This record gives sequence, structure tokens and C-alpha cells, in this order.
Amino acid sequence: MVVIDIHKEHQEIWNYLSEVPDPEIPIINLVELGVIRNVEKQNESLIITITPTYTGCPAKKLFEDLIREKLIEKGFEDITINTVLSPAWNTDWLSEATKAKMMAEGISPPTDDNKVVICPKCKSENTKRLSQFGSTPCQSFHSCNDCLEPFNYFKCHR
Amino acid sequence: MKITIENNEAKFLFRIADTSLILGQRLAELCSKGPFLEEDIALSNCSLDLFGRAEELYKIIASIEGNKFTPDDYVFRRNEREYYNIKLVEQPNEDFAWTMARQFMHDVWAKEVFTQLLSSKNQQLVGLSEKVLKEIEYSLIHSRDWLYRLGLGTEESNSRTQAAFDHLLKYVEEIFNFDELDKTYLTNVENIEKVWQDEINRVLSEINVERKEIQPLTMRDFRDGFHSEHIGHLLSIMQYLPRAYPEAKWS
Ligand SMILES: [Zn+2]
Repeated sequence: MVVIDIHKEHQEIWNYLSEVPDPEIPIINLVELGVIRNVEKQNESLIITITPTYTGCPAKKLFEDLIREKLIEKGFEDITINTVLSPAWNTDWLSEATKAKMMAEGISPPTDDNKVVICPKCKSENTKRLSQFGSTPCQSFHSCNDCLEPFNYFKCHR
Repeated sequence: MKITIENNEAKFLFRIADTSLILGQRLAELCSKGPFLEEDIALSNCSLDLFGRAEELYKIIASIEGNKFTPDDYVFRRNEREYYNIKLVEQPNEDFAWTMARQFMHDVWAKEVFTQLLSSKNQQLVGLSEKVLKEIEYSLIHSRDWLYRLGLGTEESNSRTQAAFDHLLKYVEEIFNFDELDKTYLTNVENIEKVWQDEINRVLSEINVERKEIQPLTMRDFRDGFHSEHIGHLLSIMQYLPRAYPEAKWS
């Protein structure tokens, strides 16, 4: 019984964390982005382990604040947030469902080694790269040769 | 507050951390002054990577040093002579060719240094190096691409690129005067120089920029905290706020 309860509570905490949107791509949450690596409870204190997408990610501190804010809202008081760098964050941690959400939002999701870049509007693979350096290090800027849509592509990062 | 450094590994890591920080600050100066929007953003992203890299290294240093100081103390409470960055990265932005030449020379060095740190006994450093190497690749593609465009572009862009290398190469010699600390914490210091010289020579020959016989500036070694005049100006801007308002906090 106890084991099941712990499991259930863990699941609840993961669900709460799923309510925290990524500050830059709010359509996906921090759990989907893969930055939350572990949730642990020691007595009354809650230990959340996170990993940054990039070492220089300006949202690093904000991630922590948003997580803390959410857990306090859910009634937790004793919260520790640890950061680990290894294993390094990578886009293989994004699920197919998450990638579909990005596509629906107009951001072309990462493909295997950037082999194809799909237009989020008309789904054409006939696209061209305008700039390797997009609005964030994780994105590059592209346009569609068929429907002319300009869009961001979330680069494959391994 | 007098910042002290006790541990040899920490002393060694300051060289890499300070080099990242100072170059990050140089690139940050270009924020909103880039030649066009995408480039402005690319430079800012490279700057953020360098700051992030420096911060993680200062955290490792702080933990080695028993957390007597925080990363912020290291950044904002040290004077010129207590900084250990290579002089190359403190050189001012001057023009865009200069900025890209400096970046490329740094990136090639940094890539080999972090590759060797993958074999460190310090697991935190190994984890950071794995992550950092991916980011250096991003910066390296960017800086190298630009050198091809500038070197093979117009007469004007080529001559400016030539001028940038002629000047910046004067600051390089000290990087390869490795001491016992370097030899302790890196796996093969000779290879750092070899990889660097080979790659610089390869790219320069492909972009029609001549590698001239350069008389290095006789300045004392960065490992002892010696600098060119530029670092003082850089630090005064970077440190002004926390020095003037020690209690200031982000709210
Ligand atoms: Zn399209």
C-alpha cells in the first residue's frame, strides 16, 4: 500500500510540473522539454533535479523560480532544486506527441540529424535555411519553397 | 573582500573560466549593435553560451575551494591582476572582421582544451565538457563561416580580415607557454598548439589571408595575471553596478 501511495504522490508532482510552461515555447511544458530529470521525496522535503538545455540558457534561473512557484502553489514548502549537467540535454528526449504540439504551434520540430526540415504550415519538405542562427541557440530560421511560410526550426541537438 | 585561491586545480580552471567570461562580455557589448538582426542574435547567443560556461566553471571552482566564495564574488570582486584570461579575448571589438578572427582563434583553442578535459578525474568537469563541446561547435561554425565570407568577399573585407589577424596574432604566443599546472590538468599540451596552428593555417590559406611573420608583443604571462590595457576598461563597466551598490538584487 505504502509503495503505491508514494508512487501516486510522485505522479501527482510530475503532473504539477507538467503545468509549468517553457518560458520561450509556452505550448510545451518543462516535463515535455526534458529539463526535469528526477523527483524525489525525503520525509517532507521535495528534491527536484533539473538540467539546462544549454549552459548559457537565459531561462535557467527562471526554470527554478517557476518550478518553485508552482510547487508552493500546490502546498509544498520544503523544496530543493538541484542542477545536473550530465547526461547532457538533447532533443531525443522530446516525445513524438511533444513534437506534434510544436508543429501545430508553427515551430518545425527536430528531425534525425536535421535531414529534413518540414514546413509547419503546408507540411512540405521543400524548404530552405535562411539563417543557421535563430532567435535562440536551439532554433534556426527557414522558409518554405512551396507556400513561402517563414518559420523557426528546432534543431536536432545530440 | 580579498579573493583567495588555494587549490591547484582551481587555479588552473580560472584560466578557462576567465577566458570564457571576458570573451562573453566582449560579445555582449555588441548586443543591439550587430550588423543585422540575425547576426546580432547569433552574437548574443554565443555570448550567453560563454557566460553560462564561465558560470558552471566558477561553480566547480567554488566547490573545490570549499565554497568560501560564490561565482558572483569571483566575477565582480576581482581586480585586473586577479584575472587569468588569455589576452587575446580581452582585445576590443574594433570591427566585425576583428570580432570574428578573435572568436575563431578562441573557438579552435577552446575545442581542443575541453576535448582534453573529457579525460579529467573531476566528473563534474567531464559532464560540463561534454555539454560545452556541442556549444563550441555552434560558435565555431559561425566564426569560421564568417571568415570564409570576409576573406573571400570583397577587397575591403579581405584587407580588414588580414589586418585583424596581423594584429591579434601578436597575443597568441603566451597561450602555448604551458606551465606545470597546464601539464597536470590537460592530457597533451603539445597537441593544443599543434591542432591550433594547423587549423588556423588551413583556414587562412583557404581564405586568401596571409599568415605573416608576427613579432609577438613582449608582455608578461596571463597565467600570472598580466594583461593588456583593455581589461581594466572592460572590468570597470562589467563590475560597476555590484561594486557601487553591493546590496543590489534582481527583484
Ligand atoms: Zn509550406
